[in-house]
Amino acid sequence: MTIVMQRLHLTHPLHFVIGLTLWSAWFVTVYGGHAVACEVMPPDPEQGVFTLVNALLLMVSLAAVALLAALTVGCYRMSKHHAGRLSFNARVSAGLYLFSTFGVLFAAMPIIGIPPCL
Amino acid sequence: MTTINREVTPPGDLPENPQRLHNDLHEIWGNPRGLKALTIVNHTTLGLRFMVTGMVFFLIGGLLAMLVRTQLALSDQDFMTPDIYNQVTTMHGTVMMFLFAIPMLEGLAIYMIPKMIGARDLVCPRLTSLGYWCYLFGGIILTFSLVLEMAPNSGWFMYTPLSSSEYSPGLGSDFWLLGITFVEISALSAGVELVVSILRTRTQGMALHKMPLFAWYILAMALMIVVGFPPLILGSILLELERAAGMPFFDVAGGGDPILWQHLFWLFGHPEVYIIFLPAAGIVSTLIPVFAGRPIVGYGWVVFAIVTTGFISFGLWVHHMFTVGIPQLAQAFFSAASMLVAVPTAIQVFVWLATLWLGKPKMKLPMLWILGFLIIFVCGGLTGVMLALVPFNWQVHDTHFVVAHMHYVLVGGMFFPLIAGLYYWLPLFSGRMPSETLGKWGFWLTFIGFNTTFLIMHWTGLLGMPRRVYSYDAGMGWDIFNLISSVGGFIMSAGIAMVLLDFALHFRFGKPAKPNPWNADGLEWANSMPPSAYNFVSLPKIETRHPLWDDPDLPRTIAEGQHSLAVATHGRREMWGTDPLTGKVREIIHLPGNSWWPLFAAMALAVVCISLLTRLYPLAVIAVVVAGLFLLRWSWENGAHPKAAPDARVAPGDPPLHSRTMDGPGLWAMSITMLANGSFFLSYLFGWFYLWTVSPEWRMPEVSPLSLVGLLLAGGALTVGAGILEKMISGLRQQRDAGLSLGMFSISALGFVQVSITLWVLLSADLAVTENSHDAIIMVGLAYALFHGGLGAVLTLLQGLRVGYGYVGAHAPFEPAVVAQLWRYNVATFWIIVGALAVLPRVIGS
Repeated sequence: MTIVMQRLHLTHPLHFVIGLTLWSAWFVTVYGGHAVACEVMPPDPEQGVFTLVNALLLMVSLAAVALLAALTVGCYRMSKHHAGRLSFNARVSAGLYLFSTFGVLFAAMPIIGIPPCL
Repeated sequence: MTTINREVTPPGDLPENPQRLHNDLHEIWGNPRGLKALTIVNHTTLGLRFMVTGMVFFLIGGLLAMLVRTQLALSDQDFMTPDIYNQVTTMHGTVMMFLFAIPMLEGLAIYMIPKMIGARDLVCPRLTSLGYWCYLFGGIILTFSLVLEMAPNSGWFMYTPLSSSEYSPGLGSDFWLLGITFVEISALSAGVELVVSILRTRTQGMALHKMPLFAWYILAMALMIVVGFPPLILGSILLELERAAGMPFFDVAGGGDPILWQHLFWLFGHPEVYIIFLPAAGIVSTLIPVFAGRPIVGYGWVVFAIVTTGFISFGLWVHHMFTVGIPQLAQAFFSAASMLVAVPTAIQVFVWLATLWLGKPKMKLPMLWILGFLIIFVCGGLTGVMLALVPFNWQVHDTHFVVAHMHYVLVGGMFFPLIAGLYYWLPLFSGRMPSETLGKWGFWLTFIGFNTTFLIMHWTGLLGMPRRVYSYDAGMGWDIFNLISSVGGFIMSAGIAMVLLDFALHFRFGKPAKPNPWNADGLEWANSMPPSAYNFVSLPKIETRHPLWDDPDLPRTIAEGQHSLAVATHGRREMWGTDPLTGKVREIIHLPGNSWWPLFAAMALAVVCISLLTRLYPLAVIAVVVAGLFLLRWSWENGAHPKAAPDARVAPGDPPLHSRTMDGPGLWAMSITMLANGSFFLSYLFGWFYLWTVSPEWRMPEVSPLSLVGLLLAGGALTVGAGILEKMISGLRQQRDAGLSLGMFSISALGFVQVSITLWVLLSADLAVTENSHDAIIMVGLAYALFHGGLGAVLTLLQGLRVGYGYVGAHAPFEPAVVAQLWRYNVATFWIIVGALAVLPRVIGS
């Protein structure tokens, strides 16, 4: 448990990959979720973007953005409390979380403009 | 050869006789000559072999390119028949991507990484050797198809159904599928050991944030290989099973889907581009600071960019499939992700420009190639962003515009930095300098020839000329552009010939290089030129990113044995095992010596490959068993085996040998291997759910053919076995090994019980594997579980035997922990297989 907690600390380089892993998980979820939703409950094309599929994908995206943004802030704050290696790790992690947040926002934008399954 | 480690020589205190130390180290590490040279496992020699072999394949690929350009130079040509043209274009792409680009860069990494991080070799030297032989044999088998005029002709991406037996009935596709899978063993081997070497064998003090940037790039590349290659291996296995045994994974009528092949191929294929680009960018990030005479601007930004590129590149694969009918919203996700990857690439370009801007650049020969890279790669990157836009992508899909873009990215992004790197490290390879005159001629001819060929090709593509057509009519308006491209191609060939001539001549006529000829900062220049087999006489403590700029005297003090592990009298090949984060010394890693087993194993695998090609299945089965026996015999000479560590004693104060701890590099190698295995397994699950969800003719039976009771019993045996193994390991951690041998035999027996029951479930399911993809994919899943279960049982049985021989026990507790990784993996994947194949269909239905 001690080792796990050490690895979860925001100065651990494991955070170099957690943000983008979350981005990847989000990406697979929205791409796969969209495909499955279109098979299981394809909405009426007349509905445009106001569909349950868009709403669900948007909610998942916003949740991912919130989590990644919180981790960005956490790592950035942690980098201020340390020097040397630990500060480097937290600073790079903060940048990677920020990019992941931006990545979710950017790639999720089509959800509010394009109807699903067409 | 029986004395123990001496105390580390205090700095400033010379060992009694440095020359004797060199001789002793050479006796242990030196390469044999004659036939025994085939047993060499040393990274320097094998790295060179990889690179030389890669250059030979590059010449073959280049020759094929010239044939293509000759055919297309004029309209209505019949220089080649359509079938030969298809073979030539397919093999050009295949050879360049699989037999040149990846192995060449891996070879460079294999050669350079230990020298850069202060290690004496890679962490799994026999694996390096196996990788090389698999690469060589696989490459020979694949290219031999050209001689037989049976080469694959479905394009380097082998799209189904064109590559399926109906439309490609010859052996061409089989050559590709089997040969490439064979070569990929090599790529994965290198990927695993590069990751572990970089994380666990950096010299004392080299914390993660002090590591050379090239090592960061190679770490990312190696991890990407580990995760990115298995989807293609799975795809190749499935397609070969379809072609050879009629299992309809990609056949719509049988419940398969040809688009599944595209997904599996591009899940590998797009990261592949970045697997090639990242090491090349690593060369650029290494060279620019040296020639600018200052540290790189924004080390942290570069690390950020490397990690980001590595991840995002896995989220782009569908942009190769925008025209197959994917919904607009899904296309928009991939379009956005494709644009995102430009961000880390741009960060690196700005970092390089800023470093040049703030430094005092010297325009030496390697820098010419770097400047060529910057110009060409930025252009290729911009057309890449254009192609990420869905409407534009539709417009130019399958035209020469895409061919031009791809060559701008791959040649600009890989070949130019590679030549820069080879020129830069040439003095290290040979101790001699290249010719500036020949080198400059070579560069300008290549640069002008390349742009003449491929800049013009953008226009040809925009005018609508499709890819992969062997000829075109005179009235299409493409004649002049094709002629210019062909002339450019030959100019480029002349430039490359000049570069290769320079490389060849410099070994004899080049001026002798002075130490650290470019005034570089990297530790690799602390080696002798050319380097010794053991790299460093003594291993220095490095706490800076620029060791040779901060301590120019380092090469001398290292050579005089003033640093750590300056001893050879124990007869071991050894180096530091360090903490992956801090670089603190944890243990002494002892490495195996030269061995025939990797060559023998690769030869047996080559027999497997050839017998599958020729449909001699009984011979293939025998060869698989023989290969397995060779590999197991190889694994026997490990850990506490007398051949692995003739003298296990260490001096007071020194850390223990890794085989006497619970956290050696083998544990890490197994973890990384399981990562690759996990990627293969996830790709399999993706295939199962994809066909279930998307395939138009998917047929799920009303009742699952798999016995749930049988699977539960098998899973129970496996889980109990894994539990007992965990208990044994817990005891070993506390130095308790009572009943270890019996425990291992019991666990092995449980493993065989699991295998037997799973086999019964498979045989009693009465699967119609050639009639519908549902049954075929179930068969593959259970075969996967059987193979892993069997492997776990056999390895545990061997552990029981090794306990009896005294190679494993409280004094050497390492190996059961390695085997336990496999058991944990087996338990997790088995239950997922049960859930996905037997439980979910019962719950959800068809």
